[in-house]
Amino acid sequence: MAVSNSELYDAIVTGDARKAHAATQAAIAAGTGPMEIISASMVPAMNEVGRLYEAEEYFVPELLLAGRAMKSAMELLRPLIAASGLKLANRVIIGTVKGDLHDIGKNIVASMLEGSGFEVIDLGADVPPEKFVAAVEERDPHVVCMSSLLTVTMPAMRTTIQALESAGVRHKVKVLIGGAPVTQQYADEIGADGYGDNASLAVSAVKKLCAVA
Amino acid sequence: MNRNFYLELAARGVRMPIGADLVLHEEPDPEAARRDGLSLGRVIERAARRWNTPIAMPLMDLRLEKIDLLALASIPEHEAEAYQFSAPIDEQTMAALCDLSSYSFCAGSIARDQAIAHIATFPDLLPVGMVIGPFSLATRLMRDPITAVALAGMAPDEQPSPEIELLLQCLRASEAAVLRSVRAQMRHGARAIVVCEPAACTAFFSPRQLKAGSNAFERFVMGPNQRIRAALDQAGCDLIFHDCGELIDSMVSDFAQRLHPVILSLGSSRNLWDDARLVPSDVVLYGNLPSKSFYSDAAMPVETVVDLTRQLITRMQACGHPHIVGSECDVLFVPEAKHAILAKVDAIMSCAAPMISNCSTP
Repeated sequence: MAVSNSELYDAIVTGDARKAHAATQAAIAAGTGPMEIISASMVPAMNEVGRLYEAEEYFVPELLLAGRAMKSAMELLRPLIAASGLKLANRVIIGTVKGDLHDIGKNIVASMLEGSGFEVIDLGADVPPEKFVAAVEERDPHVVCMSSLLTVTMPAMRTTIQALESAGVRHKVKVLIGGAPVTQQYADEIGADGYGDNASLAVSAVKKLCAVA
Repeated sequence: MNRNFYLELAARGVRMPIGADLVLHEEPDPEAARRDGLSLGRVIERAARRWNTPIAMPLMDLRLEKIDLLALASIPEHEAEAYQFSAPIDEQTMAALCDLSSYSFCAGSIARDQAIAHIATFPDLLPVGMVIGPFSLATRLMRDPITAVALAGMAPDEQPSPEIELLLQCLRASEAAVLRSVRAQMRHGARAIVVCEPAACTAFFSPRQLKAGSNAFERFVMGPNQRIRAALDQAGCDLIFHDCGELIDSMVSDFAQRLHPVILSLGSSRNLWDDARLVPSDVVLYGNLPSKSFYSDAAMPVETVVDLTRQLITRMQACGHPHIVGSECDVLFVPEAKHAILAKVDAIMSCAAPMISNCSTP
């Protein structure tokens, strides 16, 4: 059974990147495998961060600091995972839709997904539909996440789903959308599979989608 | 500063959306009109007359100060919106960015200023300018502003990091850019300026950190905005302060009591009738119907907008605080939802008390 590294867990929950880096180095030096570090310490830590956010004890800045700490740990683990031929459980493609340069919410979701053990391919902001399609064709993800902050750029979510359909790859992926003006009704209206009202709920929704994908 | 003008409008029951974008999109070529001073001025005039208000609320284009600022670092307009500094800025560039004597403005800013001058020719309209707030502009200049703010708000033993250094530089440059913009708009006749500070909110400032004693909100939001306020005071120009972000009570108090604007405009996450206790009685509250959801008839049917408007009016009348009914932010034009949005703006305007006409400017 995997044993939790409490220093790494605490470093992520308190958003301390330097401590997270040091604790990960120590765990690797002690012979702990990368997947065990992720599953025993990082995933529970990000779950706790999500819980604190839902309880309104944490806010967006704490989420980002936790994500930053988690990334500093992942930087050390990623080469080990690649070298060992291991694979993270599920792959997610994420991006802010065409015309929208706001990427803070998308970045938070990406960080939390990575901390929850997903392989995340971040396409960035202002991503045109054809780039989402190409990424699906090339990287074969389980889920595509799209974000939009503005009402005027939301229609690009529909356009992107239509582009996935036209390219014949829509059936291969689940699509999750989110962003300030986005609602469950809008997700239903444009044929998305899920909707996240905030970063924490987006991660929960991705987990659910992967369970049925 | 003539607070009575705004207080009288509130007492008369004036209602108005921030709706110039809707009128702009009635133009045959909205993008051309956005960059032509006379056309833009006519759009703003038409918006004020349509909604029967003497406050000629301008187009909310919060990109302009960033474009003008980055032009001083030789970054072309078409790259400005996406441009972000990723490392501390060199001294020479900082000197250029902070140069208050610069009067170089993009076509959009020139049109904005000429539109103000056009409005100033009508004695029954109040020419109003608009700027992005210094903190919000600073956040648009950086790749990861939230982390920088959060790091700055951490325990005092946290070593100064490159992220914090860049944040402080961006803030200095932004304050200069806002000041240049404000001065230009006042020169063209603006008698009130709307300062839009949507990033000054809990997404950027953790209430947990603030409760623990972080002075980040004071350093990054209140300080720069108090200096902008002083510049407005010096010129006899009124401050209208807008923040549609998620706020905690202490933020609302700081805006209302320490910036002491003539109008405080808040987002729909706030209950204005509760906020009234935080706001001096000579500050008019504006808003705050949920216009960001107007595009969707499923999420926000017209009937709900009517109910919310009536509830807002009733509760504000009950608490006795001066209030102008309006939108929580700029009501943006969305082509595929044009009719849904307009129907809800009409609902706000027509669902209760009598309309006011022929209001005079102070």
